[in-house]
Amino acid sequence: MANGNNNINLKNPPLSGSDNNNKNRAAAAKRRKVSAGDKAFTICNTIFMILFVVITLYPVLNTLAISFNDGTDALRGGIYLIPRKFTLKNYITVMQKDNLITGAYITVLRTLIGTLLALVTNAILAYIVSRKEFIFRRALSLFWVITMYVNGGLIPTFLLYKNLHLTNTFWVYVIPGTISAFNMLVIRTYMNGISESLTEAAQIDGAGYTTIFLKVISPLCKPVYATIALFVAVYQWNSWFDAMLYNRMSDQYTTLQYELMKLLSSVTNQGTSAEAMKNAMGTVTPTSVRAAATIITMLPIICIYPFLQNYFVTGLTLGGVKE
Amino acid sequence: MKKKTKIDLNTIKKQKALLIWGGLLTIYGFIFYYLPLTGWLMAFQNYKPKDGILHSQFVGLAKFVRLFSDVTFLKVIRNTLAMGVINLVVTFITAIAFAILLNEVRSNFGKRTVQTISYLPHFLSWIIVTGILHDALSGTGIVNDILMKLGIVDQGINFFAHTQYFWPIVAFANVWKETGWNAIIYLAAITSIDPALYEAASIDGAGRWAKILHVTLPGIKPTIIILLLMNVGNVLNAGFEIQYLLGNGLVQSVSQTIDIYVLKWGISQGDYSIGTAAGIFKSLVSIILIVLANQIAKRSGEERLF
Amino acid sequence: MKKKLLSVLMSMVIAASLAACGGAGSAEGAGAASGDGAQQASATGGSGEKEFTAFFAVPGAEINDDNEIQQMIADKTGVKVKETWLTGQTAEEAVGTLIAGGEYPDFIDGGDGMKQLYEAGALVALDEYIDKYPNIKSYYTEQEWDRLKQDDGHIYWINQFQNIKGKDTTCTHNDEAFWIQTRVLEWAGYPEVKTMDQYFDLIESYNEANPTMEDGTANIPYTILCDDWRYFCLENAPEFLDGYPNDGSVIVDPKTKKVIDYNTTDTAVKYFEKLNDEYKKGIVDPESFTQTYDEYIAKLSTGRVLGMIDQWWDFAFTAGDAIKSAGLDEKGCMYVPLPITISEDVHNQWHNSGGVLNVASGLAVTTSCDDVEGAIKFIDDLLGQEVHNLRFWGVEGVDYEVDDKGIFYRTPEERTNAADTAYKASHLCTYSYFPQWLGTSDDGKNANMPSDQPGEYYDSLAGKVKDCLSAYGAKTYVDMLGTNEAPGPWYPMYSYSNNLTTDTDAGVAWNLMGEVKHEYLPKVVMADDFEGAWDEYMKAYNNCKPEDFLAAMQTELDRRIEEAAKFQ
Repeated sequence: MANGNNNINLKNPPLSGSDNNNKNRAAAAKRRKVSAGDKAFTICNTIFMILFVVITLYPVLNTLAISFNDGTDALRGGIYLIPRKFTLKNYITVMQKDNLITGAYITVLRTLIGTLLALVTNAILAYIVSRKEFIFRRALSLFWVITMYVNGGLIPTFLLYKNLHLTNTFWVYVIPGTISAFNMLVIRTYMNGISESLTEAAQIDGAGYTTIFLKVISPLCKPVYATIALFVAVYQWNSWFDAMLYNRMSDQYTTLQYELMKLLSSVTNQGTSAEAMKNAMGTVTPTSVRAAATIITMLPIICIYPFLQNYFVTGLTLGGVKE
Repeated sequence: MKKKTKIDLNTIKKQKALLIWGGLLTIYGFIFYYLPLTGWLMAFQNYKPKDGILHSQFVGLAKFVRLFSDVTFLKVIRNTLAMGVINLVVTFITAIAFAILLNEVRSNFGKRTVQTISYLPHFLSWIIVTGILHDALSGTGIVNDILMKLGIVDQGINFFAHTQYFWPIVAFANVWKETGWNAIIYLAAITSIDPALYEAASIDGAGRWAKILHVTLPGIKPTIIILLLMNVGNVLNAGFEIQYLLGNGLVQSVSQTIDIYVLKWGISQGDYSIGTAAGIFKSLVSIILIVLANQIAKRSGEERLF
Repeated sequence: MKKKLLSVLMSMVIAASLAACGGAGSAEGAGAASGDGAQQASATGGSGEKEFTAFFAVPGAEINDDNEIQQMIADKTGVKVKETWLTGQTAEEAVGTLIAGGEYPDFIDGGDGMKQLYEAGALVALDEYIDKYPNIKSYYTEQEWDRLKQDDGHIYWINQFQNIKGKDTTCTHNDEAFWIQTRVLEWAGYPEVKTMDQYFDLIESYNEANPTMEDGTANIPYTILCDDWRYFCLENAPEFLDGYPNDGSVIVDPKTKKVIDYNTTDTAVKYFEKLNDEYKKGIVDPESFTQTYDEYIAKLSTGRVLGMIDQWWDFAFTAGDAIKSAGLDEKGCMYVPLPITISEDVHNQWHNSGGVLNVASGLAVTTSCDDVEGAIKFIDDLLGQEVHNLRFWGVEGVDYEVDDKGIFYRTPEERTNAADTAYKASHLCTYSYFPQWLGTSDDGKNANMPSDQPGEYYDSLAGKVKDCLSAYGAKTYVDMLGTNEAPGPWYPMYSYSNNLTTDTDAGVAWNLMGEVKHEYLPKVVMADDFEGAWDEYMKAYNNCKPEDFLAAMQTELDRRIEEAAKFQ
């Protein structure tokens, strides 16, 4: 196929691509003297980034410190970056939660399946509404845009899922909400930016819509696919409300976050009576358990992130993609 | 450039694949997003769980009348709108600025590190973030410390006791927690910009600032416009948790949002209809806003939602 | 490039399959059970015991599936209950969804949503069963059972708490009071402190003499918790200062049988004027009205706060524990209650003896339960002394010891265990939202709850607290205040006002009053000009139509008195 050539041209591995990118820029820069303005810009930018890192890192480090600090001691406040009374108790408490392993298993499963499903469906829909010649292009876009701003409410939604026999099943996590207009529109915008000459060339070669989607558009959309995959994966990973609402009585479909939420609300200090408070309090406190649970939740995402990051930080060389 | 496509048998045949997939996805959308809207009937009823949507008593527009005749509700609309607009503008600008500046970081390692750290606060719950914020802004907190050392004030300001600080504090909290996360979309968009454009600009003698203005920004403009359009529809969803956690009796006249109102006067009173009525109101405002915004975008020839 | 994306997905799959290996056992087991409806009570394990489900619309601690005492109770009664608690929703929302779905757990306590469940016909009438089960039957008196009847004349739920058997052995004053640190009283030579003026004078003079703690941090003489619903620490003192008990929303004059609004009494003006005064003097913590509950607890935990108004349970299990663990209780930083009123001739009623029957909620059996008889028998079994001891004391020799006189006590280690979250989940099973007894057990010697066991209680006090108590001739916190009988059959009125909804004018007024007080009372305390601020507050307050609320309260009071008259 003729567009194969195009593909080959595009196939620069991301890392070397960025090297080229930097080299090109560096070469260009050498051609003239680096202006004083540029230098000042670099310095200011570096200072700004350092400040930004300090400000955003602080709450995370603070949470980390509290997660390793004795709960009762932490009630006194004044813990910043280093635990005052070190303990692993908070993590042990979290780890000993019943059903945690089932929850983790279901959560990983829903993250995988949910992300794949969402990626495929949103990409297909985005592709359809990005075709300028599609007859229902505007109508279909409007149909989906509206879904972002309307909401039937808790009870009607619950009844719908119940009637569809989605409650007390795993599928209630991944089937509803797999297409989100937001994600779809982000992909569509990216697709709109891809030069029409590429699709036209493929069309001349006799490629149909499906082929163009799979062979021409999708390979170019990796950065945006990676972005959406990240969004959906994080959403799936953090979800617990659906588990509580639709699978309250089905322990086998509990999720990690729901178990953590249950643990957290069981040590909550929001008790409104002596009974509730006596039930709730132990050697750990809501603050300390929350800190430990937060760190445990964040870890896997921090570990997977660098892989995804390749797609949207190190600039890809997509020669001739833009119009 | 744009041609109107006529609907005839030939086009339908040609677009068969698009029509079939589009049709299937529409059915899906109808079931999961539009069917639950039958719940909107609740707004016109005195909904009681025992009777369900089918048998609850209809009361016409009574719930809407009650909402809009309550001065408190009008006040919470004002609060929600104000915080929604401030948050929209501030978080929007910071995310774009951060993405662009991060893109300008030369060192690959630095770029990756900063980016990884910047999105971490997204994973902290509001209760953690507001807790830290409360600490930092307390009478003996770091902010007052700095202000006093700089001689700007001679006595600590009690930031949470005065209504004028509340909206800026909420905006700052949003920026703090979400800038790095929101920037991801723009970073992805920046990757699609052709490096040749930068090179050409360099040859023309453009400095970095000029390249940002003339290459990067135009390159991500469609993404910016689309996100702006979508977020314009969300100005009435200014949130619930953060205002609830940061608010107190002294500032409640500026801190309460529509969602807090609905919880207080609707759900916690067993009145689901009030919540639904407020929800319909929000939806209508959102849809009107995005249709208007979309028209403006269309007129100026920009990327648009539909 | 495809490989790159694939490798990411692969790494996720590997992570998943690793987790799957660990979780395979439980997932498979669960998969088999999921075939039939998850709601069904089904036999589990080989022992053939019955499993019920329960949902409580309050936050609570879930226990592990292999909990030890739960298994012991199951061995004795043949029943296990799988409990779930409220998470991230309001009670009304959770109940509303259950009703919409039409499927319920076997047992339910809907909290604030109880009335909705009743209206939806979700609950089983318990009347005919109650007579068959002696432990349940004797749980309430005829009059009390009568009060639990709904408007159709049937009983649908059993309130689980505050019910006293035998002798009332309450040691803790669980309720509201003016609290003060023992070091302040010790410094002043344990004086009699009976009025609000004396209380603040004492705090002022102590703070003048000792502005800082030993380590140099400044004392906070008096702080006020005002966070969200916890602003009762600011607003409801006037009813106690006038010598009335905690009816919550109004004062009931026991002579005239009329409701009085405590927000507008002379005492209320005096109290807020005093706070305003102390605020200007710097005695009241300037951050009072903006601090969150966590910040308040942090302040108390450092031992800096000399005094405040609060409910015992609201700070004792958080700040109280922190003070103890830092050893500050031995430095006089633990709190004791004082019998404060507006003037010396007013008798205080901060503490009431006897149970309180809150008729608004309780444990119910739902129409989804396929073995109502079995469910009720289980409630009956839980009230038997042996099982009751197992629930609240635990296993003899493991969780408590018995001395040669037959008195139960706990070693310090057992006491620590009883407070440990993980230990509670794996070992203890109180079935805490099932009916339970306070007071003394059938043996006549021991309390039903460890916290009410006098020896056990005294042992857990710090030396400085013991010194302070004995200086006032007291052995318990209750002795510090003296105790009072419940004032009348209407008590407590809050069980009515708590359930008012905005469907009624009274409910609207009640909610608006709350909003106005929440905003204006802090302003009144912080005002430069008290009179002006008070007038402004009163203007806003009267706009809420408090008369609608008071009229409804009067009607309810009359109704309650009339009901009670039937049994005299």
